[in-house]
Order: sequence, then C-alpha cells, then structure tokens
Amino acid sequence: MAPRVVVVGLASDFGCQVQITNIEDHLLEMLDVIDLGYWQLASSGHMPAEYDIAVVEGAVTTLEHVELLKRLRKTASVVMTIGTCAHTGGIPALANRCDLDAAYSAVYGEGSDVARGRCAPGPVHSVIDVDYQVPGCPIDTDEFLAVLSKALQGLADPLPGDPMCAVCKTKENVCLLDRGEICLGLVTRTGCGAKCPSLGRPCTGCRGLAPDANFDAARKVLASKGFDPNELDRRFDLYNAVREGVR
Amino acid sequence: MFFRVVDKERLPDLIAGLSSDHEVIGPIEKDGRFVFAPISDPSQIRLDYDTTLLPPKKWLMPPEETMMHFNCADEEVTDDTVVASPRVLFGLHPCDINSLLLLDNVFLQGHVDPYYKARRDNTLIVGMSCTPSPTCFCNVWDTDEVHWGFDIFLTDLGDRYYASLRTVKGAEVLDRHVDSRAVTEKDTADFQQVVHEFKQGFSNNVDTAQLPVLLDAKFDSPVWDDFGSECLSCGACSMVCPTCYCFDVKDRLEVDQKSGARVRTWDSCQFKEFAAVAHGQNFREDRSSRLKYRYYHKYWGYLSKFERVLCVGCGRCTLACPSGISPVKVIEALQAGGSR
Amino acid sequence: MNDIRVDECACDGVGNAYRPWPARITSIQDLTEKEKLFELRLIDPEVREAFKFHAGQFAEISIFGVGEAPISISSAPSKQGFIELCVRNTGDVTGALHKKQCGDIVGLRGPLGRGFPFEQMKGNDILLVAGGLGIAPLKSLINHIHDERHEFGKVTIMYGAKNPGEVLFRHQFDMWKHREDFDLMLTVDESDDTWDGPVGVVTKLFDQVDVDPDCTYGAICGPPVMYKYVIEEMRKKNMDVDKIYMSFERRMKCGIGKCGHCGVGHQYACIDGPVFSYWEAMNLQEAI
Repeated sequence: MAPRVVVVGLASDFGCQVQITNIEDHLLEMLDVIDLGYWQLASSGHMPAEYDIAVVEGAVTTLEHVELLKRLRKTASVVMTIGTCAHTGGIPALANRCDLDAAYSAVYGEGSDVARGRCAPGPVHSVIDVDYQVPGCPIDTDEFLAVLSKALQGLADPLPGDPMCAVCKTKENVCLLDRGEICLGLVTRTGCGAKCPSLGRPCTGCRGLAPDANFDAARKVLASKGFDPNELDRRFDLYNAVREGVR
Repeated sequence: MFFRVVDKERLPDLIAGLSSDHEVIGPIEKDGRFVFAPISDPSQIRLDYDTTLLPPKKWLMPPEETMMHFNCADEEVTDDTVVASPRVLFGLHPCDINSLLLLDNVFLQGHVDPYYKARRDNTLIVGMSCTPSPTCFCNVWDTDEVHWGFDIFLTDLGDRYYASLRTVKGAEVLDRHVDSRAVTEKDTADFQQVVHEFKQGFSNNVDTAQLPVLLDAKFDSPVWDDFGSECLSCGACSMVCPTCYCFDVKDRLEVDQKSGARVRTWDSCQFKEFAAVAHGQNFREDRSSRLKYRYYHKYWGYLSKFERVLCVGCGRCTLACPSGISPVKVIEALQAGGSR
Repeated sequence: MNDIRVDECACDGVGNAYRPWPARITSIQDLTEKEKLFELRLIDPEVREAFKFHAGQFAEISIFGVGEAPISISSAPSKQGFIELCVRNTGDVTGALHKKQCGDIVGLRGPLGRGFPFEQMKGNDILLVAGGLGIAPLKSLINHIHDERHEFGKVTIMYGAKNPGEVLFRHQFDMWKHREDFDLMLTVDESDDTWDGPVGVVTKLFDQVDVDPDCTYGAICGPPVMYKYVIEEMRKKNMDVDKIYMSFERRMKCGIGKCGHCGVGHQYACIDGPVFSYWEAMNLQEAI
C-alpha cells in the first residue's frame, strides 16, 4: 500500500507547495507511488488522523505551529521539510533581529491580534527532529522528487555539505566575484545546480550555510576582491538570520 | 612527422570541411572568457583565446553522465550503451592535448573505461599554438610542447600555419578540406623563430627539483595549514583542472521507483565526504589534509604510476580559486618552507 | 566517420567493468546483531566461471536504486561457483542488502584489488591477527590455508572482538578450538557470562605465542586504530617488514582505479591494495 502523505504549511508564502504543482509532468506518476492524504494548498478536506510522511513548509512562528509539529512528529514515521523557511527559518526568522512585538506592531498596527501565541520565528528542526530536508527558496521540483524517493525507500539523504562553487564551474559561469558582484555561493550549500549564478544573478544563500564552508576565508576573499568583508555576513542573514540553527 | 603549410585565410575551409561530417568543438567567447563549445559558423571561433573556463575533458568525460539504466525488480542493466558521435576538438593548446594523454593513462589502461574510450576513439584533435599568459606554467612540466596525442597541430606563423600531421586521419582531412603546400626552408626557420619567442614568454619558472621527495619529507609542514586556512574546500580547482578525473557515482530512480539510472558526476578530493567510509571514519577530515592530498596525488601519486606529474601547468586552478591558491605558490612555499 | 557505441569498443574482453552482474542470494546466515553472511552465486555461467579470486580481494555489491558498496570476500578461492560476503549493516547499501531474502537477486562486480600473496606464503608459518569485522577478509585466507593445510607450517589465528556477542563465525571457531592444526586464540574487550576465554585487546595474546621470524608471514585486518599496535608486537617478535601483510579499508567506489576515492598515500587501495605489506604501508602517508 502506498504510504499516506500529508503536506502542511506554517509561516510562508506557500511558494514551495506551488512548486509541487509545477511537477506537472510527473504529478500523476507521483500519485501512483504515494497516497496524498492532505495538501493544505489544494485540499478542502481535513487532515486525516493517520499518515506516514509529513511534508512541512514554512517557519515556526506560533505556539499553534509548535503543537502541530509535535503532532506530525508523533503520527508520521517520516518528517520532511520543504523550502528555506522550514529549513533555516528563512525570511520570517529575520524578525529575530529586532524586537518581535515592535515588529508586529509596525506591520499590523498597534495592539493587533494577529498570530496569537506567537513565538520567535525559527526552523522546523528547532522544534522537532527532521528526517529529510529539501532546501531552497523555492524548492527545486527534481530535488523534491529525489528526496521523496529517498524517503520512500528509507534511505539516508544527508544534505551536501560543500559550497556552491564547484557546480558553478561545471556550468562554465564566469565567477560573479570577478564581475563585481558579491556572490554567496562561496559559503552556501550546493545542490541547486548553481541556478542563480548561471542566470547571471549572484547566489543569495537560500540553501543555508554549507557546513564545510570556510566563512573566515570567504570574508578574506571578499576583501581581496575589493568588497567590505562584513557584507558576506550581512547578506547571508537574509535567509539565515538564525545562524546557529542552520543544519 | 609530416608537415604542410596552410594560408591563414584558408583555415575556415578546414573548419567548414570538418563540420560536414563532425561536430566541431572550438573556443568561443563567453562573458569575456572562453569556452569550448560547438561551432556552427567558422567565424565564431576565437583562436586568439588564452584559456577556457572548463578544459576539453568535458567533451570526453562530461560533468554528469549516465553509465547505465537499470530495472530494480530483477537488478538488471537495461542499457549501458553510449553513442559517441564523431567530433573534432579544434584549437587545443599543447597543455590541453597533454592533459588528454594523462587522462588516457587512467581511463585506457588496466580496466578500460568504455565511456571515455568511445568518445576518445571518435574524437579528432586539432591543436593550435598559443602565447604564454601570466598564469601559465606549462614550461615547468615540459607540457608547452606536444609531440603526439593530436591529429593535426597548427603553429601560427603570422600569415600562415605550420601544420604538423601526426596521424593518417589528420593528413587525410587536411588534404581533403583545405589547400596546403609543402614546407620550405623559410617556413621551418620561421617556425623555429616563433617557438623561440614562445619559450621566452613564460613568467613562472618555479623550482620543481625533487618535488616528490619534498612532498614526503615535508608532509607535516606548516605550509599545508597555511594554505588550508585559506582554502574554501569549494572544489573549483578540481572542476576546472584538465587532469582531475575523480568521479562520484549515484543512482537516480524514476518517479515510479521501479527503474532508474546510475549516473556519475565529477567529484573533488577537496570535499569533506570524499574519503569518508561507511562506519563514520573519515581519512581526510580537515581542510589542510585534503588540500595537501590534491598536490600529493598530482605531483607524486600519479607520478609513481605513470612517470609524469598530473598537471600540465594550464593555470586554470589559479584563475578559478577564489582565494588565489595556485600550484606555483604551493610549490614555492614547499621549496622554502619548514620541514617536519 | 560513424558513431561509436560503447558496447562495441574493445574493453579488455570483459565488457563494461562498471556493469554489475546479477547474482542470486543462495544462503543468508545471521552471525551477530549487525552482521550477516551472504552466499552469492552469479547467474550467468560464463561470468561465474570467470570470477576467480584470491584471498583478500573484494567485490562491489550493487543494489540498483541504492548504490554500490565494497565488501571483502570471506569464502576460500578454492571453493568456486559461489562467494561468501560477511556484511555489517552500516549504510544504505548494506542496509538494503540486509533486508534481502534468500533467492533475491543483487548485482556483483569483481573480483577486485590485490589480495594476500598466498603462493609466497606457502612453506611458512602464518600468524593472522583480526579485529572485529577485520576477520571477514582473513576468513578467506584462513579457509584457503585450511584447504591446502599441508603447504603451511604452524598457523596461529588471533581474533579480538568487542564482546562475545560480536564474535563473528563463533560457531565455526568454537569447533576449531580443539583442532591441533590451527592455533586459535579468541579474546574480547568486554566479557559476559557466555564467555570463558581471555579478556583484553588482541595484542595481549602475543605474550602467549612463539614466532620464528625467519619463516613467519603475518596477516592483519581490523579497525584502523589497531594496525599500529599489532605491527609493534610483530616487530617485537622480529618479523620482517616485508612479511607482514595488512588489508586496508578505504572508500573503494569504482574498484578499478579510476574514481579516486580510495587514495592512500600515493596509491589506490582498490588496485594497489587493499592488501599491502608493512614495507609498502610504511611508505604510504596517512596509512597507519
């Protein structure tokens, strides 16, 4: 029997769930190997009580999220996150860099009652153990299918630990640092095929910190190319404000 | 070897002629640098290129290739064929032709690598003389000259090419596609003059004396930690290297989870997981040991097997390393630096 | 010029060396909690016939969709037609293999690498030292010596495991305890009530043996940390550096000297090893 999968969203723009709809070519094939029990973006029904694989998008921003995650972890044998928000806290986690109440007031108005029981925004793995992660903003559909395949087979799928440069070289891109741009590929986890640099846009670090990256050396590289070395940290914060939490 | 002389304005005839029954790959411009790419029009080709972003190896061993398709249910290989269509690598510099000879040692000796061999056997090599650039150090390894490993080699004499014909195939295509004439004494004298000037053009004259001995004697030198602290472990050096051949193999399942492909991709000894084994042991855990291994293998490991170093001095790694680490700097530091 | 297809090019007469051949699992024995002994039989008779190996060589086990893993061959070369692999469940491929049933099919490539110098060892005493899973490749050598026992002098086997539950091939070794043609010494780091043998690291057993250094070959396999100490003991017994052989575990991936993952010093473990003499190993950086 095909494993039952539920897809739920926390704080995010649901872009990664939209990406799943973009699997078009393989969507029907995918539905042959899984039993899609619930898909927050596309389902009108309720989440079933029993499921095997929980796919989570978005950052944790409320106590309700925390409770939901705990329930998912308890019920599902496999928890898989999709997207940067779930993986590193992403854009929502930027709020950690300022006073949270002040930030809410500034956005929603003084005394507004949105996000009841709000908590400091963070990644899913700060609340529960995560088995599989598809990083990126948004996720790559092929990578999603590959990680789902690993989950279905019960195989380990450690995220690559190396930075982006190698694969960027194989795409024959002229290094953006040599073209006057600050590219975060130096320290960002590889695996996306260096999509942005291949389109002439510098890497913005959406896949999180490469654990094997040499951040100190990367700052020196920036300095040697005539940039402010602190720009590396500042720009990297965009998707990685909760730096300690990056896995 | 046989020699002919070809007028410069006749060269497009050769490229056009070869294009009739080959895919012609040559240097073209990309964002101010150069890449080896298919040539659809002879005017695209930039024979004044200094070096390319990726070396020609990508046309013999692509960054990613399918080795075989399989069927999971009965562990059966359903297809492990690859079709190599006739190709010309046009305008390769001596360093790059030499790099292919070094790859040949690995892939065509012992157990033959059938994927590499199929492409190699169906690839015609037309070499082209070059001008030393500041990052070149082929002179150090004698890879600034090439005497085999090509079909035709063209030395630029200003208004004409001095064509060295190494193979029957090379002689045959030259004869078929382009007007050429016999070599005169003046042609050879001019050739000598060009070679003389070329040899004067190198700026890196690093001392490689007893390098294998130094690599062992200074295995614990602080030099390695110095470079290791600068190294980003990004693997860019390996990707752009014309002689790095390491690869990783992975299985990819189709969405149906029943069939798939075994795929190999370029790999680098600079990646942390490269030497890790299943029980969690990693034989090169830290950055400096990985950086050291790259040089150790290039200048001693490979040498111990094939009597040549695994480096042709093309300078691509120097250009690609964000931290500016280069073999020239490493060897100089090793010659000067402390011993164990 | 015409297209060249990979299956048409001459590849030393054996075809594509990366291509695994289907082999049927003909027996599975649980050895410990983590290790199972698999008996495999290549299905194609020609491929099976061509699979001639030496003790110390390894094979690549392939499970499509999961990958490949290098496993040393445990059975004796004198037994043709099947091979035995002692496999610890430690990663994706070995995990998937552990889930297989008798009669299932897996892929197999090999034999690969350089084994022990069996012919050279003949006429000598043999001292085998194994730690943990290191018994797997030595088992092949032990069995081969067993099958040609008259060719060898005194044969001593020292085998250390973490605890009695992790002693591999315990049943066979229990039977061998009483044999006079093999001097078998088992030890465990931590004892329990099923154990009445020696307790302590394997090197402690050296106090109990006499070695004639002029005519003794050593064979070692175990966890990386073990080699240094065992070699020390063998050198104390004056054994020659070129009569001590050891098998190294590295990340053999292609198994044929191309992919670069198993580099050890200036050599590749997959084609230059995995068995090296101590003299060779001394000259390999990062080896011991």
